Amino acid sequence: MRALGQGARRLLGELVEGLRIALSSLLGARLRSLLTTLGIVIGVMTVIAIVAIIQGLNAAFEEQIASIGTHTIHVSKYQWVSQGQGEWWLMRNRKDLGLAELRAVEREATLATAVAPQVSVFQGTVTQADHELRGIRITGTDPRYLDTNGGAVAAGRFLTETDVDLSRTSAVLGFEAGQRLFPGWEPEAIVGRRVRVEGHVFTVVGAMARRGKFMDLDLDTIVFLPYTTFLRDLGGKRSLILSVSSAPEHLQELQDQLIGILRRVRRVPPDRPDDFACNKQEEFLKLYNQLTGALYAVAVGVGLITLVVGGIGIMNIMLVSVTERTREIGVRRALGARRRTILLQFLIESSVVATLGGAVGTALGLGTARVVSLATPLAAAVTPSAVVLGLTFSAAVGLLFGSWPAWRAARLDPVEALRYE
Amino acid sequence: MSDPLIVVDRLHRHYLVGGETVRALDGVSFSIARGEWVAIVGQSGSGKSTLMNLLGCLDTPTSGVYRLNGSDVEGLDDDALADLRNREIGFVFQTFQLLPRATALQNVELPLVYRGLSRRERRARAAQALEAVGLQNRMTHRPNELSGGQRQRVAVARALVGNPSLLLADEPTGNLDSATGEEIIRLFSELHARGHTLLLVTHEPRLAARCPRAIRLSDGQVVGDGPGTEIAALGAARVVHG
Repeated sequence: MRALGQGARRLLGELVEGLRIALSSLLGARLRSLLTTLGIVIGVMTVIAIVAIIQGLNAAFEEQIASIGTHTIHVSKYQWVSQGQGEWWLMRNRKDLGLAELRAVEREATLATAVAPQVSVFQGTVTQADHELRGIRITGTDPRYLDTNGGAVAAGRFLTETDVDLSRTSAVLGFEAGQRLFPGWEPEAIVGRRVRVEGHVFTVVGAMARRGKFMDLDLDTIVFLPYTTFLRDLGGKRSLILSVSSAPEHLQELQDQLIGILRRVRRVPPDRPDDFACNKQEEFLKLYNQLTGALYAVAVGVGLITLVVGGIGIMNIMLVSVTERTREIGVRRALGARRRTILLQFLIESSVVATLGGAVGTALGLGTARVVSLATPLAAAVTPSAVVLGLTFSAAVGLLFGSWPAWRAARLDPVEALRYE
Repeated sequence: MSDPLIVVDRLHRHYLVGGETVRALDGVSFSIARGEWVAIVGQSGSGKSTLMNLLGCLDTPTSGVYRLNGSDVEGLDDDALADLRNREIGFVFQTFQLLPRATALQNVELPLVYRGLSRRERRARAAQALEAVGLQNRMTHRPNELSGGQRQRVAVARALVGNPSLLLADEPTGNLDSATGEEIIRLFSELHARGHTLLLVTHEPRLAARCPRAIRLSDGQVVGDGPGTEIAALGAARVVHG
């Protein structure tokens, strides 16, 4: 303390005094303080709860999006993330992607670390004894699928080159598919059993570990077949998806390379646009961010409006407080308080009121988020930054809306203030 | 010590009220030496409150000179006036004006907060000041737990704690019954005996009569300046000088 200058000590004393006054006047008028801060409480609560829910959504989405492979380009007839309906009809009429394209990519895409074809039935049926699975995805692919799209085998093995080369009737069941076709069976026990896929008999060679969902696609109910067998038994008139992976830093170059190869193989004239699409994870991210960005903006807007309303409440009550304490202000000025001192005192009071409201609002907001995550599938994530944000914002609102009343208090004439009845 | 503490020379304070100039103070001159105990008396509207505000550095004159403790008050800005009040003047108000939610000790500490003293020093000096007015057993009481006389004692302690050169009291007994008022007058008398300079603004002849010197104001001018007993007895009737 001794090292502190007189001015600094004075400021410190004034701050402490300001805090003391603020707390005692808060406690002195509990109901009024409560009502005053209600606006702030609700505003901060709304923002915190929504931010927590959105952050939870983000975390869940990021987890999902990782499940389609971070550094993979999925070449398809269809643009997965498209704006507007019209394009879909155009895309449908494009030439299918077939084995010629697959071979060309396998041969010429030097930046690719793995290439896996996929051909799918979207509403397939698989049966085992009297168990039937309807409306599931049946995908023909090859061993590289695990590299391009992720996933791991829990029992048995995944498809092999030999399965593909010999068009064997091997099947790998997704985790859920296995559980539902063989209720109560261990995954190991499923291996070697027979199932009917779209009426054709297949031998189960492996069962996948649980993978979760991607958007509305349940990755755990997929049944995998060698794509050669798929094309032979389930019909060859289907377009392939080519999943091509690369090192992360080469993803853009790989895309250019793929476009070059495919345009040549598919004989796209130079003046025509691509008749295929390179789908990447980041497009989902973009779409997602667009959607949640709007939600975010609305939520933050609503929260800000509430905070402004709360701030006006604080301004109102501070004006009342300044009027009520006019004589006190006069006395303080007579005892040597500078204008700055009075200004500081009321600023401290308004920001303390607002920050307390913010703290209550933060607690309630986190509580709401918790309730939401328990009661609904939405996972609300509580981050320290949300708490800091809530407190900072409410303190700022207190300062902002307290500044006019504080300024009015500070410019009161001491003589007038002392005479005030 | 030869210099007077207060020198007031041809002090004017005019207000503009509804387009008309009101001469609340109309050329007041006097000086007060250190250690004096002076009452300023006059009827309401005589200008004594205006004079007190000027002497208390709460207001600035329209024209004229006010010198307090050797320094000219004219031309000081708001902050400088606040600091001057804090250092040189101790105020005692008619209605005590204590902070209701603060203890006696905290109330007395307040001027020292504005002076920037350390907490420990504030505490020590505030306790000392409360002791000096006989309230050493009431330090942690809040104003509503104290009697009127005790409250005014706290106010006096608050005025004294900064060791000001001038104690300025505005109707200090106005809100007290006569017995308690007498108690406060005795306290002032003690303070006077200890060498404090006291300036009392009052309309009570009884209080003015107890002061060694009194200055009577009427219509913004000094109409009497002499021993308290005489000035109090004179009333407004006899004008000593115009």
